[in-house]
Amino acid sequence: MQCTVIFQPSGRRGLVSRGTLLQASRKLGADLEAPCGGAGTCGKCKVKIEEGFFNLSPLAEQEKRMLTPEEIVDHFRLACCAKTEGDVLVFVPEQSNGAKQVILETSKERAFNLNPAIKKYYVEMKKPTLEDYRDDFTRLKDALTCNYSHLKDDISIDYSVLLKLPNILRKGNWKAAITLWHDTEIIAVEPGRVEKMYGIAVDIGTTTIAAYLCDLATGNILKRDSLMNSQVRYGDDVISRISYCMMNDDGLARLHKMIIDDINTLVARLAQAVAISHENIYEMVLVFNTAMHHITLNIDPQYLGCVPFASAIRDPMNIKARDLGLKIARSGNIHCLPVEAGFVGADNVSVLIAVEPYKQEKMMLVIDIGTNGEIDLGNADCMLSTSCATGPALEGAQIKFGMRAAPGAIERVKINQCSLEPEIKVIGEEECPDTPPKPYVKGICGSGIIDAVAELFKAGVIQPDGRFSKKLNFPRIRQGSDGKPEYVLAWAARTAIGQDITITQKDVRAVQLAKAALYAGAKILMKKRGVNKVDSVVLAGAFGSYINKESALVIGMFPDCDLENITAVGNAAGEGAKLALLDTGKRLEAREVAAFMQFVETAAEPDFQTHFYDAMCFPHAKDSFPHIQQILDEIPA
Amino acid sequence: MSQQEILEKLKNAIEETDSDLAAEAAGEAVTVGIDPLIAVNEGLSKGMTTISDLFDEGEVFIPQLLLAAEAFEIAMGMLFGDMSDEARRKASQGKILIHTVQGDIHDIGKNIVKTMLSAGGFEVIDLGRDVAVEEVVRQAIENKVDIIAGSALMTTTMPAQRDIVAVLKEEGIRDQFKCLFGGAPVSLEWVAKIGADAYAETASGAVEQAKALMAEIRRG
Repeated sequence: MQCTVIFQPSGRRGLVSRGTLLQASRKLGADLEAPCGGAGTCGKCKVKIEEGFFNLSPLAEQEKRMLTPEEIVDHFRLACCAKTEGDVLVFVPEQSNGAKQVILETSKERAFNLNPAIKKYYVEMKKPTLEDYRDDFTRLKDALTCNYSHLKDDISIDYSVLLKLPNILRKGNWKAAITLWHDTEIIAVEPGRVEKMYGIAVDIGTTTIAAYLCDLATGNILKRDSLMNSQVRYGDDVISRISYCMMNDDGLARLHKMIIDDINTLVARLAQAVAISHENIYEMVLVFNTAMHHITLNIDPQYLGCVPFASAIRDPMNIKARDLGLKIARSGNIHCLPVEAGFVGADNVSVLIAVEPYKQEKMMLVIDIGTNGEIDLGNADCMLSTSCATGPALEGAQIKFGMRAAPGAIERVKINQCSLEPEIKVIGEEECPDTPPKPYVKGICGSGIIDAVAELFKAGVIQPDGRFSKKLNFPRIRQGSDGKPEYVLAWAARTAIGQDITITQKDVRAVQLAKAALYAGAKILMKKRGVNKVDSVVLAGAFGSYINKESALVIGMFPDCDLENITAVGNAAGEGAKLALLDTGKRLEAREVAAFMQFVETAAEPDFQTHFYDAMCFPHAKDSFPHIQQILDEIPA
Repeated sequence: MSQQEILEKLKNAIEETDSDLAAEAAGEAVTVGIDPLIAVNEGLSKGMTTISDLFDEGEVFIPQLLLAAEAFEIAMGMLFGDMSDEARRKASQGKILIHTVQGDIHDIGKNIVKTMLSAGGFEVIDLGRDVAVEEVVRQAIENKVDIIAGSALMTTTMPAQRDIVAVLKEEGIRDQFKCLFGGAPVSLEWVAKIGADAYAETASGAVEQAKALMAEIRRG
């Protein structure tokens, strides 16, 4: 009997015959930790059964020993013991996940003005006496305005800080460190001289959350960390999260709590890593797409789910940490960058303040590649933006052997034009230099897919319309089990999944749809902006900096541009969040940018369809690509 | 040129997505006096079946499919050019109202289905995208269609399909129309749950389902 097993968050799924979940995970390429080799003794392969708990064999003795009673109640099992007897949905907790995702955290550092919203002031006050009976708060304000001439008298104090004020002032013998937000509100008072002040910038993606702990006194980035968004178990894209909120009474509450817990986990990990107190983290800047924005702020996202995709608010927000349950200083501030329009969220604003296309004369195209692609075009005169449904193909999903960028994923492909033999580079392979290398390859990630398709096109295996050529007779080109042509990228002997890894006709079609959506979006913005070429292209997104720009241009992911002027900037959204944390000037800029951007709903443009169809060809049905003409000319007819 | 040769030429014109050849062959069919119905069923439709099969296999992709449909429509126009409405109706497989549901603007899939249905000999009325439930029902009544076809591309807009069935029931006219639904998040289970009549996963599947529904209607 065969049953369907799905592993989240990797999304690996398939039919397996009866056996343990650990065997299923190996067959399907979902990587589970099993240092004891599946003997039920290490407890490392702990997984949570989300659906189909009763489709598994009863709890084994080893499991009763290894799992806590709470875990048993929560439907945790050991993958090496639980045998499948029906369909199951398995959630792999991060500690059991053998494949650590490669999340892009590093990117180009940028120059900025250090001007955080948080400032610390040290003051010494005179003790109250019968003659000088000023109240504590007035005494404090007077000391501040007297010592620091730029401070004004209209300073207020956070209620929860006020509650502690009298005791702290006396405890510190009338010497105190005052933390001011925007020089107007006292959000912390500590006895004595304390100079430490920290902030965290968080980029909340649909799939991953990246956080940066910054020293607000120096502007240094002390530590980066990231984790998978726990919501992935409720679907891969924002629409499925929105519909989860719509369909379940406690849906929003549950998703909201999940994301807050995720951020708190990151805060705790970051604080622990550099041994600081969460009490000294006074501010957090959040950037996210509009759906994540609403869910994080506990705002009903359902109206984002259908035309005209209206969001609840566009303005930037400042919220007390305690109101959101975020565990930094209780009176700390949470700043959310403004939303642009509909699906173009604060994360795109964040990309823009990092890349600053609006500060130059050159016509720049900025593409943020994700499940939802965001495109911006323009210069100092006028900027347009749009979002387009790229689908997850460029991130490795919807591809037969697609996977996320994790160890075991093919990330680079080069194909010899004569022998049609591939040369592949696998994430993490250089770290285990076994000779002969042990079978290691598990799948293909986004950059590998783009490379593979571009290389197959350059070698003439795939024709401009996306079809496999029938003229070639090579062992690697064959009929797949479904009767359709495919190209073998890695033979089973080299893979860890016991079967050949291929690029199928269907995969090529999925790439065509995704890249056509991006190209058509860019083309419509160019038409609206009245330009027929762009001076530079910036590829952002966790995907962006790993992508081979030549391959991307060869398949026609965006209009022609000099390769020299195409740059991959990595996680620019995270970069913008950091800038907004360290420099309040950037927050003003963000606000101006959000208003300056003109949103175009490309899907509603009458000629979108024509542009979309024309863009399905490699590199394009009509447009020319002078900058890579030489490469195109060498393609065997 | 014999009738058989012309029919073969019509079929080839579609398979080769060649509008000029399709027009030429259709002209010849008219000159020789081939019954338009035979020209469609034995010539053009056969070619379209080949293309649609190749499309399902991934061998042919959307742009080529549209070229084939364009050739098909050009030939159809010539074959039925000076026919009465009555005769045209006789040649039609059935009348379908198609739309992308309320709240949804993703209509490329719907347009492909529409093209395939027209090429399959159906008379198709396209209401476009983001069409209000009430408007769908009103137009269905006004145009006396046989089938209401709707596509939803997001889980958030799927409920509009349920609402169409509900409104039809409310107005006591549920039995006058067949409901055929599709779209990426839509499934057979969903369609069964909301009490619609058929689900199609692909464009060619939609044509098949529409034909089956018409057969049901004709059986009464």
